[in-house]
Amino acid sequence: MRRLQSLFNWLFSLFHKNSLDAELSDEVRFHLDRQIAENLSSGMSPTEARRAALRDFGGIPKFTEAARDARRSNFLENLLQDIRFGARMLRKNPAFTFFAVSVLAIGIAANSAIFSVADAVLLRPLPYRDANRLVIVWEDASAYGFPNDTPAPGNFADWHARNRVFTDMAAIDFGGSFPLTGQGIPEKLSGRAVTANLFSVLGVSPALGRDFHPEDDVPGATHVAILSHGLWLRRFGADPQIIGKEIQLNYAKATIIGVMPRGFQFPDRETEIWTPARFSKQDLANHGSHYLHVFARLKPAVSLATANADLSVIAKQLQAQYPEENAKLGAFAVPLRDQLAGNVRPALLMLVGAVCFVLLIACANVANLLLSRAAGRRRELAMRLTLGATRLRILQQMLTESLLLALLAGALGLLLSIFATQFLAALIPNGFAPITGANLDPRVLLFTLAVSLATGILFGIIPALRVSRLHLAPSLQQSAGRGAVGSGGARLRNALVISEVALAIVLLAGAALLIRSLANLYHLDPGFQSDHVLVVHTPLSYPRYDSFPRRVSFYSQVLAKVETLPGVLSAGYTTWIPLTNPGGATSITIEGRPEPAPGEHLIPNIRMISANYPATLRMKLIAGRFFDRTDGAGTQLVALINETMARNYWPGENPLGKRFKRGNYKDDAPWFTIVGIVGDVHQAGLDLPARPEMYLPYMQHDYGYDPEYLAIHTSGDPMSLAEAVRQQVWSADSEQPVSGVMPLSDMVDDNLASRRMQASLLTGFAAIALLLVTLGIYAVLSFAVSQRTQEIGVRVALGAQPAQVLRMIFSQGLKLFAIGAALGLTAAFFLTRAISHLLFRVSPYDPASFAAITLLLAAVSLLACYLPARRATHLDPLIALRYD
Amino acid sequence: MTKPTDLVQGTLDLLILKTIALQPLHGWAIAQRIRQVSNRVLQVNQGALYPALHRLEQQAWIKSAWGESENNRKAKYYSLTRAGKKYLQSEESNWHRLSSAIGLVLKNV
Repeated sequence: MRRLQSLFNWLFSLFHKNSLDAELSDEVRFHLDRQIAENLSSGMSPTEARRAALRDFGGIPKFTEAARDARRSNFLENLLQDIRFGARMLRKNPAFTFFAVSVLAIGIAANSAIFSVADAVLLRPLPYRDANRLVIVWEDASAYGFPNDTPAPGNFADWHARNRVFTDMAAIDFGGSFPLTGQGIPEKLSGRAVTANLFSVLGVSPALGRDFHPEDDVPGATHVAILSHGLWLRRFGADPQIIGKEIQLNYAKATIIGVMPRGFQFPDRETEIWTPARFSKQDLANHGSHYLHVFARLKPAVSLATANADLSVIAKQLQAQYPEENAKLGAFAVPLRDQLAGNVRPALLMLVGAVCFVLLIACANVANLLLSRAAGRRRELAMRLTLGATRLRILQQMLTESLLLALLAGALGLLLSIFATQFLAALIPNGFAPITGANLDPRVLLFTLAVSLATGILFGIIPALRVSRLHLAPSLQQSAGRGAVGSGGARLRNALVISEVALAIVLLAGAALLIRSLANLYHLDPGFQSDHVLVVHTPLSYPRYDSFPRRVSFYSQVLAKVETLPGVLSAGYTTWIPLTNPGGATSITIEGRPEPAPGEHLIPNIRMISANYPATLRMKLIAGRFFDRTDGAGTQLVALINETMARNYWPGENPLGKRFKRGNYKDDAPWFTIVGIVGDVHQAGLDLPARPEMYLPYMQHDYGYDPEYLAIHTSGDPMSLAEAVRQQVWSADSEQPVSGVMPLSDMVDDNLASRRMQASLLTGFAAIALLLVTLGIYAVLSFAVSQRTQEIGVRVALGAQPAQVLRMIFSQGLKLFAIGAALGLTAAFFLTRAISHLLFRVSPYDPASFAAITLLLAAVSLLACYLPARRATHLDPLIALRYD
Repeated sequence: MTKPTDLVQGTLDLLILKTIALQPLHGWAIAQRIRQVSNRVLQVNQGALYPALHRLEQQAWIKSAWGESENNRKAKYYSLTRAGKKYLQSEESNWHRLSSAIGLVLKNV
């Protein structure tokens, strides 16, 4: 009740301020009059009586203020007044306002943009039910060079049957291409064959139609398919009657049974259609071919550690049960989010750190500006203090001004970040929904607001505190123009600049290391040349191409037609162009060696190629020969091996002329003779080492792996041939989908896109830091010079040479730089370790990088010193002495 | 003489509440009454009195009304609200408890 009354009083006083103030002055006047009357009656003279009464009262303005404060209605009133006043101050100093707002806006924009990416990848829950219970399960085949290996269907089936930790496990097939024919142009859809329970494991149901049933997921069942929302819109015009319709998928009839909800994507953005995997009994007993992705949902209250322990136990059982295939295989689960975020997580954390640094530098800069401005406003503030403003009140006003600046900067920063975010899309791994800067996310909005307010307080509080602790007398006596901040102020300003230098050094160090890593990657010899190479993806489908001669005829025709196109130097087919498949391996047995122990067999990568493929990619021939047209059907089976395979499998021997067969010791398979050794090709990624690898001529023998990628070495711009190549493929088979037509150099760039993005972002942030630090040093020195004008004038008048004055100013600037650089280098020494796994062939303590950035910052600091120093040497002593 | 700043804030509030418990008074009279009753020991500075009055009113322990003063002038009279009366009682007993406790300590230690 009383609280209500109290609230009412407060509201009343808010809206009746004027009448209440009038009442207050009436009350005061009454009081004074009574006191004067009392004093008179005690025998004072009228003047004396009045003076005594007033003295008793203390300062009237101060008292009125205090009485108002007691009503607490002042806060809002003051706030409005401060905002008006602050806005006026900002308008009156457009240069200052522009500079401060832009500096802060850049800092805030960087934070908002990186936050929106970090939010999407690290914070926001994945769009699946209880997504933090979802894991991906890998085979551990480290023994063969695949620490995260795609599980074999047999292992999946056994994990599924034996585990006690997952509510359910689902698998998706190696996936790839789903030609959609029948209506319109043939199109290769990106799709996945999945076990029927995949969507229920994820906890997402189709928006339209039904989920897969177990009956759909057996060999021989009618073909069914579920569409992505995007495909439904794009290809089927959002037909609400789509359920039950038939399409031509994989050259067979399939019934559409469902459409997934908008925004659903799994396992990546490209996947547009899902079909049942229809594993046969034989598939599910196969422990030798590893090509699934397995997803599982943890039972409630089962931890990841428990799940991994259970998987290890099962892996041990399988090792004993299937020694031939499983002797060296383990199994483990990884939280789905960690898997999807992959190595973007450390990069993002680094960028989050970097943008914080940028913002801190911006804050230090603006705080410094505010300090020098506050120095100019000392007299104004001292006057207000004398006139009865409380220190709290001054603090409030100063903070309001900085918050106003920060909010302006925040609004501008938000705008900037909306544009910036679009360029950060490459930072978002494929497993996550893409971000678009266009639609303003409330979380990003809130974050930006919070950052702006925090920024305003951060850069505003130190100057505000200093000002509100002002000592009155000296300030009032000081001359208007200068109002020295005193040694304490100078120390504070120096400390701010030193911390700016230190922060900038850390950013520069990180950027330098990433740039060197990137340069190392670009200068790395990937074992092939990507310039002037066009890549075309033409995966064949079954049962159309069941017959080997038919496949050979397709490839021969396409190659013959393409090679006759003008501008084509050579063309070749391969199972996987570099960077498209890190694995693709098969076991081999070398002639004349004893039977290996279980699990000790050799598993090199296998690539089926046409004769001209090595020449097309300009691979290096180390020894022997490439394939030629005589390596055809009916002649000796031949093979090329890479250097790593030669070194690892034939140490100290010459592999040329040696023979091996595919499969295990007892398998009855033909022998291949090694005719050439080629340079290592980085298949898995430019920054990853090559595995042992062999190349077999496709036309010679049906090996069960089809070439899918056509590579064409062109004399001119590869893309100019794109349409002609398409036509040539279609002239060989008019129903063959052609996709992924792009220059190989683009694929290489894509492979480095994430690293390039990291390096360029960090470099951008470091450049901003460098600029801000330059301005910071410049501002401090200019201020110092203007403070010391008289002193310098005296020195010059007493015969100091310009060089001495120059040295004096430079030494002050360089001292700040040196202390900052020492602190920064020490911090960088500890912090760069945190990004060591983002580096490539560069030590996190790389002396060259550290030296280079220190020199760079030193040069920039000298530049920042130069202008103020020159001004100091050009001072006319007479004017300087009178300067006041 | 005790300076008003030496009065703990709650103490001035208590004095005001007690002073106007008997009858509504205006600010000047409150200060006078406190001075008289305390045998001129307690001088209430007006600079502290009015803020205290406004604060107490804001907190709804007291209410105010304009009325005619002894010399026929308009003056603002303060009186206790019902909540204020209860508050005064509890504050009074608090005070007694506290002061007798302090007295005990001073006497016996």
